[in-house]
Amino acid sequence: MTKAGLKTLVILFAVISVLLFCSFAFANRITKWFGFDKENALTEWEEKIFKGRVLYSVKIESINGYLTAYSKNAASGILYRLRFNPKDQPFASWKWKVIKFPDKKEGVYSKSSWIEKDDYAARFYVIFPSLIFTNIKTLEYVWDRNLPEGAIITSPYFKNIKIIVAESGEKNLGNWVYEKRNIYEDFKKAFGRKPREVGAIAIMTDTDNTLSTAEANYDEIKVGYKNEKE
Amino acid sequence: MATPIQKRILILIFASAVIPTSLAVVALYYLIFNLMAWQIGIPEAIAYNLIPVVQKVNLIISITIPIALLLIWFIALELSHRIAGPLFRLEKELDERITGKTSGVDIKLRKKDELKTLVGKINKLINK
Repeated sequence: MTKAGLKTLVILFAVISVLLFCSFAFANRITKWFGFDKENALTEWEEKIFKGRVLYSVKIESINGYLTAYSKNAASGILYRLRFNPKDQPFASWKWKVIKFPDKKEGVYSKSSWIEKDDYAARFYVIFPSLIFTNIKTLEYVWDRNLPEGAIITSPYFKNIKIIVAESGEKNLGNWVYEKRNIYEDFKKAFGRKPREVGAIAIMTDTDNTLSTAEANYDEIKVGYKNEKE
Repeated sequence: MATPIQKRILILIFASAVIPTSLAVVALYYLIFNLMAWQIGIPEAIAYNLIPVVQKVNLIISITIPIALLLIWFIALELSHRIAGPLFRLEKELDERITGKTSGVDIKLRKKDELKTLVGKINKLINK
């Protein structure tokens, strides 16, 4: 290779490195806010179907919109990919409103088969990807009718999914409830170690296990921030 | 009993078959499953749909890999015989000719041996 060729290659490598570094640095500082105030607000989200299809749609009243989810014997979610470091940007907040809980019949399930009760009116996921997919870890904030608020349980599907009961009971049924979570601290509490980067957030309202219906609304989702001003 | 040169050839053939194949298999394994997990997205769906598949694939791999390794080993052994055998024979025959124990007779190789062209030329040189 000639000297000129080598020089070009080095310059090209340097430019690519700088661009990659900038993209990572920039990506790591993004604070995302979802207001669902436009009809096409869901286009930037990916629909992920697990069992059947939940109806997710944006409803706009005057100028403010929100996301509605209606599930009938189904489990599907919407997912948004993003990247930020939860150590520097630990907060995630959102508003949710449960209109109807899935019908969980108490006492008819054995302890070993509580997968049959793994339906929640509202779930908010924070997903921490990994190089090896079996190491993907997930915090799942749920609003459940019966589980005590603050409880952290392991998903019946996978040990790396920790379900945190962020809201409990029917006292706020039909009302908007604001949640603000420190995902860095929640991760440490749930998994006993510090988290890596966040790779995605998701929302799900599901009724595939209880074969019932559920309805919930979501709004003002904000992730990856440290101060309210961000 | 294997000669040092046969051992070297055997290890070389075995390693050149196993190392790149293993790297390719491991890379493909993780690439395919990681991409699938990335595409599925919802953690419960990954756990429900993908992990049982991975477990089955792991089971199949754990059975087939020892068989494949054994097969590669036998093929490498056979190939090393075909290369190291003629070299050993050639060295022995040349030694006998140098010391004068044998003369004028062609060096003969087995039917499947390699290096037949080289030995043919050496035979021509001996009989010249």
